[in-house]
Amino acid sequence: MARVELKKVHDYLWEIPKSGEMNVPGRIYADQASIDFLVSEEKSKEWDALLQVRNVACLPGIQTASLAMADIHPGYGFPIGGVGAFDLDTGVVTIAGVGFDINCGVRTMVVGVTREEVEKRKEELADALFRIVPAGIGSTGSLKLTMKEIDEVLVRGAPFVVERGYESADDLAFVEEGGVVEGADPSCVSARAKERQFKQVGTLGSGNHYLEVQCVETVYDEKAAAAYGVARGTVVVSIHTGSRALGHQIGMDYQSVLQRASEKYKIPVRETELVAAPIRSPEGERYIAAVKAGINCAFANRQAIAHLVRTAFKSVFGLDGRDVKTLYEVGHNNLKFERHMVDGVEKELLVHRKGATRAFGPGSAGIPDRYRAVGQPVLVGGTMGTSSYILVGTERGMEETFGSAVHGAGRRKSRKQALREYRGEAIIKKLAAQGVAVRVHSKPGLAEEAPGAYKDVDNVVAIMEGAGINRRVVRLKPIVCVKG
Amino acid sequence: MSLRGHETIDHTADMGIRGWGRTPAEAFEETASAMFEIGVNADGLVPSRRIGISCEGDDLAGILIEFLNGCISEADVSGTVLVGVSVGALAERNGKWYVEATALGVPVADACDRLLVEVKAATWYGASVLEREPGAWVARCVVDL
Repeated sequence: MARVELKKVHDYLWEIPKSGEMNVPGRIYADQASIDFLVSEEKSKEWDALLQVRNVACLPGIQTASLAMADIHPGYGFPIGGVGAFDLDTGVVTIAGVGFDINCGVRTMVVGVTREEVEKRKEELADALFRIVPAGIGSTGSLKLTMKEIDEVLVRGAPFVVERGYESADDLAFVEEGGVVEGADPSCVSARAKERQFKQVGTLGSGNHYLEVQCVETVYDEKAAAAYGVARGTVVVSIHTGSRALGHQIGMDYQSVLQRASEKYKIPVRETELVAAPIRSPEGERYIAAVKAGINCAFANRQAIAHLVRTAFKSVFGLDGRDVKTLYEVGHNNLKFERHMVDGVEKELLVHRKGATRAFGPGSAGIPDRYRAVGQPVLVGGTMGTSSYILVGTERGMEETFGSAVHGAGRRKSRKQALREYRGEAIIKKLAAQGVAVRVHSKPGLAEEAPGAYKDVDNVVAIMEGAGINRRVVRLKPIVCVKG
Repeated sequence: MSLRGHETIDHTADMGIRGWGRTPAEAFEETASAMFEIGVNADGLVPSRRIGISCEGDDLAGILIEFLNGCISEADVSGTVLVGVSVGALAERNGKWYVEATALGVPVADACDRLLVEVKAATWYGASVLEREPGAWVARCVVDL
């Protein structure tokens, strides 16, 4: 028997009606097939994303609804694809709503070469990116920092890296928050977290993190595409990574802090990672200050990698750094203080997005002037073998989802299942036949990330567009993929 | 089922791990082995490094997670790929649990061609340490990849 009651609102939206200890309803963006899959998973009684949507709806101070985007799958306390916004006076902050890879996100840069040029030299380019950008387990970055300097990274984010010579080419104006959030406090981050990170700034990591050279294959929204500076055939490069070991250690360190806070403030814990503290409590404030440090660390990491990517393009095509321009950078594991309408009143909220991307609509503050008339770019990673998307936020998204979007395709098969079904070598050959040059540090790791292990990204973005929450701008086809 | 052993368990996004043994300490060692095998193919690797792991937790499940995360962070800081661990002490004192262990491994540079997937963290999701029957302990959790 299903543990969660579901009601269809329309073809792309389902609701878990408010009942029992829920403070708001749960809302899931999904089509019939997706919801059938989630219900079938629920029956396994473990790893249940729908139950997680309901549990989040029970947290104190949550506003409007506990939301899940169309790439929903089970997470830790929050579902991946989950969004929860909280009143600052009555609400809570929870580790589950951020996850271990704080401010994991995507930067996409427009490259001043033609698709034909890249296709001709893609093997050489793949080799250069693989050689120049550190990736994989145990990799260390080219940005050499002292333990003292890591504190500066945590406070100053991407601008610190730019000052160290990792060129900007006006990048920062096109990075969420300008590449740095205020209020980060390194004293709230453990020495162990800093010790793990100070050698890792400028490293890609492993798992689902990647570098991809892509070209615009389809344009859906000419006006937005023009604003973003892309057209059919434009070459872009996308960087997907986060705060690396620092973010992981912050999550580990604060689990027990927020566990004790949950007991102290009598916040029921429905799943272990769903521990929480009031936003205005000392414990909550310290955790938020630590997360902000993690957010800045991820901004710095992507800025350093952007520099290395430029170096790779320079080595192959002789491009100047200014020929590789940042289109946008946005995170998808975040806490953000934002202003939104709740019951007709604008108020400041703490928005958790776990595997969900901020997606502000036209006219919103906090997005680059050049994009304000059309809305914020939303960078959605697909799979190596299919495609990625650039979407745009909408006014309806601002009303229904606090301006949020999907972040990727979302996993469909477990890693074990993927390992049983796929082999890294075979994937490389298959992708090569499709025109994608792949470089990878771990072939078994590549098998776990096989395109077939993920949901159909085309369907995921179609659900969000069908619901009016995000709109497709362009579809990107991979040409080169480098994995950790 | 043998007296001690370990395995991985399906999880949509990450990986479940389970270890069992005659004592909680053996179950901890086996669970750690399951986690290490996600990260490296250790067949034939001869450990050349020993790293001390020392943690405390509120209960057995809590100390399991602290122990596994202690292994991850010590390996990260020292640039070591871990392949095994020996638990010297696992005990409760004054309502707190403590573990003392020695992890064995090799420098990352010596295992470059054997590395698989980075384990970011051991999570509390589904974490438990239970005595299924006298002398048969099972520990489990999910690791974030």
